[in-house]
Amino acid sequence: MTNPQSSRRDFLADSGRAATAAWLSFHLPWLASLASCARDDARNNKAFGTLTPAEASAMRAFAAQIIPSDDGTPGAEDAGAAHFVDRALGQPFFADNLPVIRAGLADLDARAQSAGERTGFASLSRVAQIAIMREIEHGAFFKAARMLVVIGTLADPAYGGNKDYAGWMMVGIDHRPSYTAPFGWYDAQASADARKGVA
Amino acid sequence: MNQRTYGERESVDFVIVGSGAAGGVLANELATAGFDVVVLEQGPWQQPTDFTHDELAIERENGMLNLSVEAIQTIRTSEADPKRRNTGRALAYRRGVGGTSVHFAANYWRFHPIDFKERSKWGSISGTGFADWPITYEELEPYYTRVDWEIGVSGAPGPFDPPRTRPYPLPPVPNKSSGVLLERAARALGLHAQAAPHAILSQPYDGRSGCMACGRCSYYGCEFGAKSSTLATVIPKAVATGRCEVRANSTVFRVATNASGRVTGVEYWDKNGKAHGQSARAVILAANGAETARLLLLSTSSLFPHGLANSSGHVGRHIMFNGHSSTFGRFDHPLNEYKGVVATRVIHDFYDADPKRGFYGAGGIDARFNFGPIAFALDWAPPDLPSWGSDYKRMLREYYTHSFRFAAHITSLPVPTNTVSLDHDHKDQWGRPGLCLTYQEHPDDLKARYWFRERTRELMEAAAATHVWDQPVLPIDGGVHLLGTARMGNDPRDSVVDRYHRAHDVPNLFICDGSSFVTSGRGQPTMTIQALAFRAAEHIGRFARSNDI
Repeated sequence: MTNPQSSRRDFLADSGRAATAAWLSFHLPWLASLASCARDDARNNKAFGTLTPAEASAMRAFAAQIIPSDDGTPGAEDAGAAHFVDRALGQPFFADNLPVIRAGLADLDARAQSAGERTGFASLSRVAQIAIMREIEHGAFFKAARMLVVIGTLADPAYGGNKDYAGWMMVGIDHRPSYTAPFGWYDAQASADARKGVA
Repeated sequence: MNQRTYGERESVDFVIVGSGAAGGVLANELATAGFDVVVLEQGPWQQPTDFTHDELAIERENGMLNLSVEAIQTIRTSEADPKRRNTGRALAYRRGVGGTSVHFAANYWRFHPIDFKERSKWGSISGTGFADWPITYEELEPYYTRVDWEIGVSGAPGPFDPPRTRPYPLPPVPNKSSGVLLERAARALGLHAQAAPHAILSQPYDGRSGCMACGRCSYYGCEFGAKSSTLATVIPKAVATGRCEVRANSTVFRVATNASGRVTGVEYWDKNGKAHGQSARAVILAANGAETARLLLLSTSSLFPHGLANSSGHVGRHIMFNGHSSTFGRFDHPLNEYKGVVATRVIHDFYDADPKRGFYGAGGIDARFNFGPIAFALDWAPPDLPSWGSDYKRMLREYYTHSFRFAAHITSLPVPTNTVSLDHDHKDQWGRPGLCLTYQEHPDDLKARYWFRERTRELMEAAAATHVWDQPVLPIDGGVHLLGTARMGNDPRDSVVDRYHRAHDVPNLFICDGSSFVTSGRGQPTMTIQALAFRAAEHIGRFARSNDI
């Protein structure tokens, strides 16, 4: 029978997934529920529902270092990835992962405090945050949280991340329902050459 | 959709199990020929308006597969190994009207004459059931042409193409930057680029819209009806005949037989798990190489103790997926591969196997980048670059729109010990045994994948990529091409169906889908599955008219 725990583990396993899977089912309901949550939260202007304020600040700071906004283009913060993560973790689908994420966020703050910061990871300098993340980048928390941040930056905005298509703009997607040729630089060149009679 | 309905006790002419690439064609051909047809499809009847571009739901959560019934699958490398959960690609197919033809990439290569007689040309290969087909390319050619014209295929002739009796009905879809770079690389290496054929309309055809280049062919359903799935083409026509009922959400669990060894119909569950039956003069299985084999193996009786139509013991054997290997490259200028169809150019210089390579293996190479941004960011980015931080972000900005891969699509050998079988230790919620894949890649198949990866790397370097990275060659744990598990042949001792797709053991049972394949072809099987379906329908109709079913 269905083993929901295995399904969750698979989702967060940081391994290459093809567009297929076995033994996994009933995944789509959590997405429908997540999208519905995102709609309600947007309507009510609700910020964080699952994470505590302290956890939420650590999550935002973590996300902002996974995909930073430092080069003048949108990053995870602009995409609202931490809000996506918050809502995703509120889904029963992720109930077993929530403790790992909570413990990881508390650990970020604890490491910040042992480095002399009173308030927590979010208040550290960028360099200090990166140093702490390097220490834990091979652990389970980091892998799961990174994956959720990336998805929150690049998934359909219906799920509450990728705000105003920030993530898609960042990777260079001109988001439209359909396109016409030329699509890219090389086919445009080839068409121009063909018109000029160049082989 | 308004359609004629049939009573369960009403004995229709044909029950067809599966509404995919083959089932849809068979339904329309037989209904048009005047027979009463019921199609049983385990998944839902979705419409183009149900399809989305939602990468999280479709690519990461298998949204198009409609896994409403839990798919229990296990894997092992030999019968001596314990079965373990298959968390890899597994046996992947869509449940739903139109089957996998709804969300496939729609590459429509024909087989070449060599594919049907390669055992005679090459000789035997140790450890395999390598064999000639009982039919030739010449016999199948008229039906390839019917596929071209009746479902709508876009393309242009290429230098290695097999003979064709009619041109393509539609010109190729517009070239993409990856296709231009493939042409550049091919020229540099003395190879030959050609337009890739697609079951996608380059222009309006037969009342359907042309391709809008939305960029979501592979894994997604077409919202415009431009992809020539059976959902968009032959199924509405079959229903419009007034002699075909497509019953969605109907999971067949048994083919019923009588004491004289004939098929009498099928038993199936509706979506609430309630059992029903449907009587028929004949049954046609078109449920794909995994489900067709499972259904035969489940339909045991005193006359058929090892499964229906399985006196040869070949049901479920010889599963072939087609091998793949690929090399990625990043370029200075944007390609924007998120637009347009998957692959616009292909190289068929390596279509024929060559003893000088030192192994049996052959294939075709195309240029593609069928990844949404999440898949690229998490799974397919260059492994030698950072996976978070400023440099990761720079990579995402500089690579997602500037990269593609050369992908090789390669032969798989039919190995008798590579099987789909019932897993009685793991059952689904209805008590049905799971599917176990037993698979050990043949050494020649593995050599072929490495050999082709050298070719894809050479091509990427010849295309002048600024950064090149290979996809690792990993053990095969499933696939989307499910071929060979009820193979066609003249000898009932080593094949399941005859040259007309009739089961050797059961006169009124026909099987036509990827399971009929004797060899794997070079990686794009659906065109051939549909040509076989057109041909099978003609012969099955002939048998029915002469009371020979």
